[in-house]
Amino acid sequence: MALNDITLGQYYPGDSAVHRLDPRVKILLLIALIVAIFLAGNLLAYVPVILFLGLVSSLSKVPVKMMLKGLKPLRFILILTFLLNLFFLQGETPLLNLGFAVITKEALITAVHYSLRLVLLVLASSLLTLTTPPITLTDGLERLLSPLRAIHFPAHEMAMMMSIALRFIPTLLEETDKIMKAQTARGADFESGNLIARAKAMVPLLVPLFVSSFRRAGDLAMAMEARCYHGGEGRTRLRVLKCGKLDYIACGCVALLIAAVVLCGKVY
Amino acid sequence: MQVTLEHVTHTYQPNSPFQSTAIRDVNMEIRPGEFLALIGHTGSGKSTLAQHINGLLKPTAGKVLLDGQDIHEKGFDKKALRQKVGLVFQYPEHQLFEETVAKDVAFGPKNLGLSEKEIAERVEEALARVGLGQPGIAQKSPFELSGGQMRRAAMAGVLAMRPEILVLDEPAAGLDPQSREDMLQLIAGLHRQGTTVVMISHSMDDVARFATRAVVMEHGTIAMEGAPEEIFRHAERLEQMGLDVPSVCRLGLKLRAMGVDCPPDIFREEQAERALLALWKGGAAHGAE
Repeated sequence: MALNDITLGQYYPGDSAVHRLDPRVKILLLIALIVAIFLAGNLLAYVPVILFLGLVSSLSKVPVKMMLKGLKPLRFILILTFLLNLFFLQGETPLLNLGFAVITKEALITAVHYSLRLVLLVLASSLLTLTTPPITLTDGLERLLSPLRAIHFPAHEMAMMMSIALRFIPTLLEETDKIMKAQTARGADFESGNLIARAKAMVPLLVPLFVSSFRRAGDLAMAMEARCYHGGEGRTRLRVLKCGKLDYIACGCVALLIAAVVLCGKVY
Repeated sequence: MQVTLEHVTHTYQPNSPFQSTAIRDVNMEIRPGEFLALIGHTGSGKSTLAQHINGLLKPTAGKVLLDGQDIHEKGFDKKALRQKVGLVFQYPEHQLFEETVAKDVAFGPKNLGLSEKEIAERVEEALARVGLGQPGIAQKSPFELSGGQMRRAAMAGVLAMRPEILVLDEPAAGLDPQSREDMLQLIAGLHRQGTTVVMISHSMDDVARFATRAVVMEHGTIAMEGAPEEIFRHAERLEQMGLDVPSVCRLGLKLRAMGVDCPPDIFREEQAERALLALWKGGAAHGAE
């Protein structure tokens, strides 16, 4: 069934230096990396970014196939960006006259520039999600957002909600699969018919799913209360996030990268 | 009607880091009229195997045949197959969804495209069958029923399709003793009336009481197969697999280990009763001498 094809989060298990980085550092470095990508004023400036991403992904030992998978849903946007820029930008040095449009050198460069930017942005963010388990990610996010508590932003509650949601995605998927099979065994058909027929066919799936979700939510709330959960106030953590040598090295590398990007932009 | 599994292998999420093979090269048949028990430790592949019987899962390799015909061949009528082979999942009450019990039971027959009259008849019959025939219950919401009643209502939903083969995944799990016994008696009754039953169970006592044949699964393959009395003779092997023998079997083994001259091959309560009575009388006669 199609449900088997869904990869959860997209964490790729491993124990590389990239995996071991503090999630807070990783999130901040990703932001820095995104800034670096936007700073790149010309194609040459992308070279250090590409080298850096290549280096990090080979360090992380995540297969290239998994990295590129993140680009697949974006392929239409990428092609569209490329083509729109290519055909509609006015430039001075014509390269090719197609009759209905003239492709100029400037347009080609801009088209490559923008599509490359998109590709690099996606690759950089997938590096984070591929090497960080979702729960660690929310942990890091909670710590980064915790200063906002001063303005009554519920950082802990947000992170707890995210962790619970993430935790239950596989459970709900499994449940969906099971109910779907149970109804299929009673002759239900989820795969044929027009839109309305298909929407109607979802009722026998969604009702039991909602019922069990509410039941689970109730059980979970009860179990949390039974273990004296009362929000984030004064709560200590099992795994205290600590920045180590590795994190400082990573910060240094990204700082160097930004310098290289700016330099390349100037030189050209 | 006969279902045959030929070299069936099933791998979940193939070609991904999460790939796992649940069953491997399984060959078995389901004989008409039998009560087949599927036994095995958690994760041994019983449920995966069960879902192949009515074509819910497609084997990664191998074939499932219904009367000699491959059920995954193009043009094979899957709906007819699902009518003939009813599958009751573990905790089937989690699949209830309609406003009333009657409507929920009618879901299957409706999907078969039967007439209103036929559907009403089948619903009534199925509800009576599972002991929910009392007036008023049919019009209740299924979510108002008790746990045991919900289980039976869900079971009625499958029975209303009048399957020739009934596959049950731990039908008695999580029920109180009375509901449990009712459920088992219901299944035994269906079997007596000619339905072929395949039951996944963790209770060796139930297997000993009802099954005519048992298949023991281990790590996705069939480890043992045969009549329950043959299987329970290998108590040690079963224990190695993390399984059990019926409680009367254990009693017999313990008695023999203590040096009591108790006949082997006791695995049903009646047999134990007879053997123990004989022992007691023999002992009493001995003592009177």
